[in-house]
Amino acid sequence: MSAVWRAARAAVRRRRLQSVVIGLVVLCSTTTVLLALGLLDAVSAPFDQAFGRQHGAHVVATYDPAGVSAAGLAEAARRPGVQAAEGPFGQGSVKVVKGWPGFPAGTLKVVGRADPAGAAVDRPALLAGRWAAAPGELVLDQDYTGLVLRELLGTRIDAPGSPPLTVVGLATSMSRSADAWVVPEQIGALHPDAVQMLYRFAAAGTAPEVAAAVDGVTAGLPAGALVSAQSHLTLKEDYAGTARDYLPFMTLFGALGLAVSVLIVGNVVGGAVVSGFRHIGVLKALGFTPNQVVGVYLVMVSLPAVAGAALGTLAGGLLAEPVLDAAFQGVRRGTAVVGIAPWVSVACLLGMPALALLAALVPALRAHRLSAAQAISAGSAPRAGRGLAVQRRLGGSRLPRPVSLGLGHPFARPARTALTLAAVLLGVTTVTLTTGLTSTMVAYSGTQAAAGGPEVVVWVGRPAFGETAPRLGDRELESLVRSRPGVTRVTAHAVVDVRLAGFTQPDTVFFQRGDDDPGMAAQVVSGRWLAGPGEVVAAPQFLKQHGLAVGDRTSMELEGRRTPVTVVGELISGGGDRMWSAWPTLAALAPEAVPVNYQVQLAPGTDVQAFADAVRAAEPGLYPLPADTGNTATTTVVTFASVFTVLLTVVAALGVFHTVLLNTRERRRDLGMLKAVGMTPRQVTVMTVTSVAVPGTVAGLAGVPLGIAGHRLIVDHVGSVAFPESMKAVWHPAGLVLLVLAGVAIAALGALPPARSAARLTIAEVLHNE
Amino acid sequence: MTTDHDSAQPVVVRLDGVRKEYGEATALDGVSLEIRAGEAVAVMGPSGCGKSTLLNMVAGLDRPTAGTVRVAGEDLGSLNETGLALFRRRQVGMIFQFFNLIDDLPALDNVALSAQLTGTPARQARRRALELLDELGIADRRDAYPATLSGGERQRVAVARALMNRPALLLADEPTGALDSRAGEQVMDLLIDLNQIGQTLLIVTHDPRLATRCAGRLIEFADGRVARESALERTS
Repeated sequence: MSAVWRAARAAVRRRRLQSVVIGLVVLCSTTTVLLALGLLDAVSAPFDQAFGRQHGAHVVATYDPAGVSAAGLAEAARRPGVQAAEGPFGQGSVKVVKGWPGFPAGTLKVVGRADPAGAAVDRPALLAGRWAAAPGELVLDQDYTGLVLRELLGTRIDAPGSPPLTVVGLATSMSRSADAWVVPEQIGALHPDAVQMLYRFAAAGTAPEVAAAVDGVTAGLPAGALVSAQSHLTLKEDYAGTARDYLPFMTLFGALGLAVSVLIVGNVVGGAVVSGFRHIGVLKALGFTPNQVVGVYLVMVSLPAVAGAALGTLAGGLLAEPVLDAAFQGVRRGTAVVGIAPWVSVACLLGMPALALLAALVPALRAHRLSAAQAISAGSAPRAGRGLAVQRRLGGSRLPRPVSLGLGHPFARPARTALTLAAVLLGVTTVTLTTGLTSTMVAYSGTQAAAGGPEVVVWVGRPAFGETAPRLGDRELESLVRSRPGVTRVTAHAVVDVRLAGFTQPDTVFFQRGDDDPGMAAQVVSGRWLAGPGEVVAAPQFLKQHGLAVGDRTSMELEGRRTPVTVVGELISGGGDRMWSAWPTLAALAPEAVPVNYQVQLAPGTDVQAFADAVRAAEPGLYPLPADTGNTATTTVVTFASVFTVLLTVVAALGVFHTVLLNTRERRRDLGMLKAVGMTPRQVTVMTVTSVAVPGTVAGLAGVPLGIAGHRLIVDHVGSVAFPESMKAVWHPAGLVLLVLAGVAIAALGALPPARSAARLTIAEVLHNE
Repeated sequence: MTTDHDSAQPVVVRLDGVRKEYGEATALDGVSLEIRAGEAVAVMGPSGCGKSTLLNMVAGLDRPTAGTVRVAGEDLGSLNETGLALFRRRQVGMIFQFFNLIDDLPALDNVALSAQLTGTPARQARRRALELLDELGIADRRDAYPATLSGGERQRVAVARALMNRPALLLADEPTGALDSRAGEQVMDLLIDLNQIGQTLLIVTHDPRLATRCAGRLIEFADGRVARESALERTS
């Protein structure tokens, strides 16, 4: 073994540059894979784990106590498909007039529930204090992101119409079953208007499964008994937050990063072993057994691979934290911990060197079978007849001889040329695909961001939440807002839950009045934006879930009123809760409805604070807040895509560099010989660069359309996002030419250092070294 | 043609006080010598005595640490790398022990290569290459790659390549060292024939039989210095 170790160590030392490049490729690949796996894991696994630990409720159901008895609910909970159930719990509300830092004023949904430790469903994690043990005690639900608001313990809540309550505990529920809990005996004093049931079902992995399970459990109950059913899938979607919208891209980049890294590491390591065949022959001639030879090469490759994987895991861990933080910014996480899971780091640390070893093993086993003479011959001389016709034609051409020699070389060494081709092809395809996806993502995130000047949402005060009621009526409020200096657009919004024909669950509809938001119109990818009453526009997922398509007719129902609607447009993206309609449609359902806010666009350069102050001064019942322009998400997306593109480009470029480097180093004796017969250093360089420019150009020309095809395939099948053609057609001729040239340039750059070094070496030294 | 040290002929090679050091080791230690046109000179000596280093200096493949090397009137010390390459094209042809043919090129293109590098049109270069291969008896192997040629055939291709540009000086480094005796004899005959038609030869060898058959003068090296010079009587 010591002979194997010594030979491998010597081989690493002798091939310092090659070892460094293998190490760098594995490092960058490991970073890419770790980042990709980490992101894929983070968008679901932490939620699933935290949800699982709390035995989270697949459905939090609210029933009308007038429509169903406790015995009826208990019987329903024993129906097939129900794995476990908790309840019924009385549900009331407490109006908190004055909030605390971290807890705004508003109405708390309070549930009467005994200590849930050991409950079959929904075990909120106690963050501080204890569970409520007697009337007058309250446990608050707190979103937990590492900071526990202990100062709230002992706080007394004096809510109008409710007995005084003291905060004795802080807990967080991944099921979001309540805003606060009291003991069951207390709920009677808190205006109970509903009862809560918590269910875990045998099958609840998809929306239809959840819907079927809810139908099953409520089948024997009176119609209308079920008031609402909150699915864990919705919570999971909310948890993913910003990441949810870009999850398809993250998945793609992750999968792409993994696939490309695997291929490039395979190519680089395989190439390193193939180029060492002559050395393998010499080792065999010296008396190394075939197994020892394989051992030498595996150790030789594993040394830089292990170092690269360790450093790559470290770099990926450092890089992943800020990316994950940005992706989950402002998202309620509960007890879910967003970070790189240990299994991801372990998989990268072990998997990447294993992959490198596997890539080395295939050619090494071939060398294992070859005799010493065959191995030496495989590493030095081409077989007779290879590319003879091409060589002859080029030798007889008018091209300068260094150029024709360079052009002929790929035909004489087809195996080496195939490696170069594969490296450049992978590189150019990857860079084309990733830059295309980045362009699409940037264009997509651009539709989510506001265009023009700053936007402000002016909220109408809600007395129920401790806010001041406006003095003016709806139309006067709109006129007031519209009359402020710098206002270019005002759109009034109402958010109302209506039922679509054939569905028991209500859907949230955004009704709008006033100026059209061009940003919304720009998000329509199929059909058109709203033009009149009785029209709706919806997100692709909404249409899919409701079995609707553009052009379909249905009807909306609210409090006994019904109005027909036609789907006239499909938005580019959005979940199952996004549908838009015009104000006259709402007027047909609820003539007295008023807006909840006025969305205002200001002229560029307008002072947002001055506008807000002026509005507040004119009407204390209005609450202006700067709108989320979507720029944070855009920055996150662009940063994320850029990190992946840079990493994959570096990996691809190193792969090409390494392959060409090996090819050129292999030819040092030839280069020395050509100098001996009178080739000048410049001619040596021209010939070498030409020899890789041909495969570089061919691969570049093939890689670009492959990358474009891959991009098209991906953007056409993202699913939750319906890209318009303008976002798919991200290619420009100049950019494509640059991509092709990039392939050639990378190949030529890879050839240049060894070519120049060979050109500078004294011939005696080159020939002596051989 | 003359095989003696004929002072009437112009000097093709002149070394004055040439030293070559590789780190601590001295390969050549103040070597001075002359070779005139048409001469066939053999250099002999034990391994490591500086024979191959001398050949490298004369061919412009390496530069001396001190002293001057003039070949065919050119001071090699004054030439840069490109100048040395041009010098090698025009003035010297080289034959190596292990042939050093370009593996990727068939025999004909290996021979034509050095002419094509000077800008000779491909058709003309190939015609002359074919003539040379024909003269050396291996025209039928013109499309063969080096890997498929026998040792003797490879060395003949190497000789043809060395002669392609009609060099002033033909340098041979152990030209029969890697050949069997029959192929070695053929190469020796070839060198004798070339010298007889006026080709100046500088042969580095361990083989006394090669020296005595092909050369008219023997320079013996020891420890990087010329230990002895003597005229040789050619044997058949």
